[in-house]
Amino acid sequence: MKEKKRSPVRNLATGVPGLDSVLGGGLPEYSFNLIAGGPGAGKTTLVHQLMFANATAERPALYFTVLGEPTLKMLRYQQQFSFFDHDLAGSAIQFINLSEEVLDGNLDEVLKRMVDEIARSKPGIVVVDSFRTIRENLTQSSEHTTSSLENFIQRLALHLTSWEVTSFLLGEYSESEQRDPIFTVADGVLWLTQAVDRNSVVRKLQVIKTRGQAQMPGLHTFRISEDGLQIFPRIPERQDARQLQSRTRISTGVPGLDEMLGGGMIAGDAVMITGPAGSGKSTITTQFIAEGLRKDEAAVIAIFEEYPKDYVARADARTPEIGEMTGSGKLEIIYLRPLDLSVDETLAAILEAVQRLGATRVAIDSLSGFEVALAPTFRIDFRESLYRLIGALTSTGVTVFMTAEVLDGFSYERFTSEQVSFITDEIIVQRYVEIDSEIKRVMAVIKMRGSDHSHGFHLYETTGKGVVVSGPLVGYHGIINGCPTFHGAAGSPLTEDRLTSRDEARLPLHGG
Amino acid sequence: MTASPTPSDAPDARELVRNLVGLEADARSDEAPVAARATLATSERLYRELSRWLGSVGCHALFTRALADARVSHPLLTGVRVQKGDQPYFEGTAEIIDAHGASATAEAFEAMLVTLVELLGRLIGDDMAVKLILQSLPEFVRDTRSLEARRPEA
Repeated sequence: MKEKKRSPVRNLATGVPGLDSVLGGGLPEYSFNLIAGGPGAGKTTLVHQLMFANATAERPALYFTVLGEPTLKMLRYQQQFSFFDHDLAGSAIQFINLSEEVLDGNLDEVLKRMVDEIARSKPGIVVVDSFRTIRENLTQSSEHTTSSLENFIQRLALHLTSWEVTSFLLGEYSESEQRDPIFTVADGVLWLTQAVDRNSVVRKLQVIKTRGQAQMPGLHTFRISEDGLQIFPRIPERQDARQLQSRTRISTGVPGLDEMLGGGMIAGDAVMITGPAGSGKSTITTQFIAEGLRKDEAAVIAIFEEYPKDYVARADARTPEIGEMTGSGKLEIIYLRPLDLSVDETLAAILEAVQRLGATRVAIDSLSGFEVALAPTFRIDFRESLYRLIGALTSTGVTVFMTAEVLDGFSYERFTSEQVSFITDEIIVQRYVEIDSEIKRVMAVIKMRGSDHSHGFHLYETTGKGVVVSGPLVGYHGIINGCPTFHGAAGSPLTEDRLTSRDEARLPLHGG
Repeated sequence: MTASPTPSDAPDARELVRNLVGLEADARSDEAPVAARATLATSERLYRELSRWLGSVGCHALFTRALADARVSHPLLTGVRVQKGDQPYFEGTAEIIDAHGASATAEAFEAMLVTLVELLGRLIGDDMAVKLILQSLPEFVRDTRSLEARRPEA
């Protein structure tokens, strides 16, 4: 039997970052779409972005306004967005007011005016804003029944398709109204929402349907900035797509820690270092990044708790590479602290920087700050969100280094406050212990997938040159509880000789 | 016209209005008094065409405001009313031509149009205002060179 050839459907690039992915590859040409959502949800801005990305003098966009936002105001406000191109407005993008025809309540006249304008301009895109007001105005008239409205929608859809138009009807609908005939006739339905959660506002987009292609399911967060809408597609669970590494070892930048890890971290792994405040997590993080920079690798650091200049200044004494390379195309410090972040937005920012720089090392400092920076609604799903974030990052092949603060330095039984150890390949734990009436710091590797590693607690110090790791504490019991007792040979093993680290012989970590 | 957020290449409002009226006058050279009829016809035409994208209600609001502002410097416009509809017109123009003369009437309507262009410029920016006005009158600017040619030398 002869194989039938499918008629390919060309997709339009929407011009809205992230939306093409969510739609499953763009917007099907000549589709009849509904963009639904409450007031202020971003419907008008979304469709303007789409028009400015696609309208041309030969195939303009017609924007029918109906008893909604006056054209003058719309032009005034939409001009503020960076996508608004004055050269296109008024020519490739034309605004037509349908208020009078709609107020007259004659469906045939409304349709006739639209078809006349379409025939006159031969547009590629048609927008009706708001279609809901047409519907409401017409249904108030006793002459119009549900069937006549359905008939109108059907005829409108057919006309638009016949003129090879990709069309968008905008409307304020609630979820209970999804039985409205427009939802049946539409080829694509996009739903925009904004929800207030405590002091945060979280905007989400859902593609209810797109005919003929597989859209990305779920709710996708989005933000409206001076550049318009940016959609942050839900992170696909891509652990299975993770790039297989050759299990190459890479240095953390701390020789003693590399030794504890059996020769360094494994490239492409997700590593978490946990410890109480002041334990040196960020110091090791910057050493990890600086080590990559010295080897001509590019890196990205995502920080949430302090400004980049403060972070750089703090790192400068031990790892001047951080300051020297920031903004050089080799290192980017991403500062995210709006308190209404979504995990998807964070991932988008990190991934964009990783791809732009060709980075191989990523640091997230810290998970605790990241959790606070999230909108409250996303903190509830923090474990699941982190799982998706780390999965998506490691699937690109980068090595991810994360810090997490644990609050109680002496009495905890847990090693990580976020209970996210399952997402990591390697876990390094730092803690304070009391020995001979002094607070000492110890570090241990408690998890390393597919590799042998040190199982001992190692003393370490943060020196002017970075973290210096000593040999394992031998002869002590109860280190894990914070108050170890020595059961070894007579005399304390913590002599000055013992504290002279193997690392110090290897230092300096940089420069001379 | 008002200052745009970015440097504007838009022509001066009065210059734009005079060009539009001038083009209309060319088409009405046999209708006396030419200047008054051309200015009035430009006003009505602009009203009609701008209604297409502003809606007649929005357009009516703009012209009403422009007329009110222009009355301050041209009190003879006091008796003029804007009438909506498929063929909008300015009621009372015949009377003011009779009472004040064609030249004064043309000058007053020109002032109203300048006010209208400036008002639009303040609302949506000078460039956008000029562009939308010219787009609304395509046959006037089909040969944009004719408009350019009418601009006074800098």
